[in-house]
Amino acid sequence: MGNKSFRQSMAWLHTWAGLLPGWLLFIIFLFGTVAFFQQEISGWMRPELGGRAVSDTALRAASRLLVAKAPGAERWIVTLPSDRGGDPLTVTWKSGTGEAAISGKAILDPTSGREIAVRDTRGGWFLYRFHFELHYIPYWLAEILVCAAALAMFVAILSGIVTHKKIFVDFFMMRFGKGQRSWLDVHNVTAVLALPFHLMITYTGLVTLLFTLMPWAISVQFPSRESYFQAAYPPGPERASQGEMIAPLSLDQVVDRAKVLQGGVAPGRIIVEHPGDVASVIQLWPSPTRIGGTSDALYLDGSTGKPMQMPRASGMAAASRGVMIDLHAGRFSGPVLRWLYFLSGVGGTMMVASGLILWTVKRRTKLPDPVRPHFGFRLVERLNIGIIAGSCAGIPVYFLANRLLSLSMAHRADWEINSLFIAWGGLFVWTLARPAKRAWIEALTVCATLYALVPIINALTTARGLVPSLIAGDWAYVGFDLVMLATAAACTFTAWKVANRKAKALPRRKARVAVEAAL
Amino acid sequence: MIHATTFLLSLTGFVLLLLAMPRHQQDWFCRKLSPARSRVLRLAGFAALALTFVVAGAGLGWAYGAVAWFGWLTVAAALVVTLNNNRERIMRKVRP
Repeated sequence: MGNKSFRQSMAWLHTWAGLLPGWLLFIIFLFGTVAFFQQEISGWMRPELGGRAVSDTALRAASRLLVAKAPGAERWIVTLPSDRGGDPLTVTWKSGTGEAAISGKAILDPTSGREIAVRDTRGGWFLYRFHFELHYIPYWLAEILVCAAALAMFVAILSGIVTHKKIFVDFFMMRFGKGQRSWLDVHNVTAVLALPFHLMITYTGLVTLLFTLMPWAISVQFPSRESYFQAAYPPGPERASQGEMIAPLSLDQVVDRAKVLQGGVAPGRIIVEHPGDVASVIQLWPSPTRIGGTSDALYLDGSTGKPMQMPRASGMAAASRGVMIDLHAGRFSGPVLRWLYFLSGVGGTMMVASGLILWTVKRRTKLPDPVRPHFGFRLVERLNIGIIAGSCAGIPVYFLANRLLSLSMAHRADWEINSLFIAWGGLFVWTLARPAKRAWIEALTVCATLYALVPIINALTTARGLVPSLIAGDWAYVGFDLVMLATAAACTFTAWKVANRKAKALPRRKARVAVEAAL
Repeated sequence: MIHATTFLLSLTGFVLLLLAMPRHQQDWFCRKLSPARSRVLRLAGFAALALTFVVAGAGLGWAYGAVAWFGWLTVAAALVVTLNNNRERIMRKVRP
C-alpha cells in the first residue's frame, strides 16, 4: 500500500467517522464546553443565593438546625457548595428504617445560614449531565451512543492529522471569503490550534466511560460490578450506636479539623453517622479541587474529633484514572485556567461544526443538479441547521425559562429543561420548512435574539442585572451576562456573513451558467 | 502574573515561528530571509515555547502549569493567526 492510498483511506475514515456521529459530537462538545462553568451557571440560575464560600456562621446554624430538628437521627448529610458557589448549603437527615423512616431536608444560605427558598432548578448540573447522559432516553442507551461517538471522535482526530497533512505547514493560514477553502481553513485552524486539548479531552472522555467501554476488566476478575466496587472502594470504619448521648461536635469545628488534617482541602460532603451518640463517626468527602487529589473520605471520631482513618491513597491504575478524569472535568482549575478550558472547548465545538458544514460545502459544487440535491445531501444539510443552530438556541431558552417560569410551578425544574428542547425542536421544524440559506440566516438571527434577551430579562426579573452586578463587583454574574452578549454578537455576525456571502456567490454562479449556456 | 508571563512568552514564541516561515516572511518583510536566519528564528521560537513551559511549571506547579501551558499556547497561536490574517489592515495603519 503506497503512501497515497494510505492517506486516501484515512481521508475516507476521517470523513465518515466524523460525519456519522458528528451531530452527537457537536452536542457533546457544546454542552461539555458550557459545563466548564457549571457552578457559575448554577449560581446565575439561583439568584436567591447571595455569597459564595461557606461561612462558619452558616455551619454553626446548620448544626443548631440539625440538633433541633433531628436530634436522634441515624444519619445527617450536609452538602457544602465549593468556593465557586452555585449550590446552597443543604442538610438532610434520616431516622429509622423501613416505613417508619423519617427524613427531612433544609436549604440554607451558605453565608448567613438562614433557611431560604431557592427556585426549583437543575442549573448548570443539567447542562453537564446532558453532555454524556443526554435526556429523555434511557441511561444505558445514552451511554452506548456517547461511547460510540467518543470512539469515533478519537478515530476522526487521528485520521484527521494524517488527512489534513498541511495543517502544520498552513499553521497560521486563514483565508476568508473563499468558500470551501475558507471552511477548510476554519476546520484546520480550530483543530490544530487546540489539538492537545482535543486529544486530551477525547481520550480522557473515553477514560470516564471506561467501565462501559471495557466491562471485561471487571467481569474477568469479579462476579459482579458491586463486588468490584466493594473491593476497590472498601467501606471505612463503622461503629454501632451505644445509646449514650453527648453534644455533637459543631460542623464548623469539624470542617476546621478536616482542613488542618488535609492541608486545606475543604470537604464537599459531610456524613455524620449516629449524631450525638458517643460512637458517632463523621465522614468527610472531599470536593475535587486539586488535580490528582484524593477522592476518599476522612473519618473522624464523632465524639472527640480525632481522626479514625485518613483518606486512603489509590492504587496506580485508579490514581491514573483519577488524574485523567480531573483533567477532563477541569474542576481543579482556577478562573484563568477555566477560561482557557472554555476557549479550547469553543474551538472544539467550532471544529466539529465546521467539519459538518464542510461536508456539504465540498459536495454542493459536485452535485449533478444543485437545485434538487439527493436525499443524503439534504439530510446532512437539514441536520446541520437543525442541530447546530437548534441546540445553540435551546441553551438561552433554558436560561430564560429559569427567569420567566412561575416560582410555584409544579415540576418547575423539568419544565426549564423541556423549554430547552421545545425551542430546539420548534426551530428545527421551522428550518425544515425554509430554503437552506434562509433557514441558516433565520435560525442564527433567532439565536442572536435569544442570547441578547437573557441579560435583559435578568435585569428585569432580578435585582442582579449587569449594572448592579458591575457595581457590586459580582464577576460571575457580570461574566455570564457578557458571555451572553458576546454570543449574541457572534450569532449576528455569522448570520450577516451568511447573508452577504450568498448575495455575492449567486450572481457568479449564474454568470457561469450563462456563459456555459452561451457556449 | 505567571499567567500573563506565560501568555506573553508563548505569543513571542509563535510570532518567531511565524516569521521563520518563508511564506510569511514574504508577507511581513516583503522579502525572504536566508535559510540560516530562518533557522535561528525557528529555534528561538521553539526555545521561547519551551521556556514558557518552564515558567508555567515553576510558577503554577508542574501539573497545573502543564495544563495552563497548553491553554495559553492555544490562545497565543489563535491571536497570531488573527494578526496574520489581518496583515493588510495592520500594515496600512503602520505604513499608510
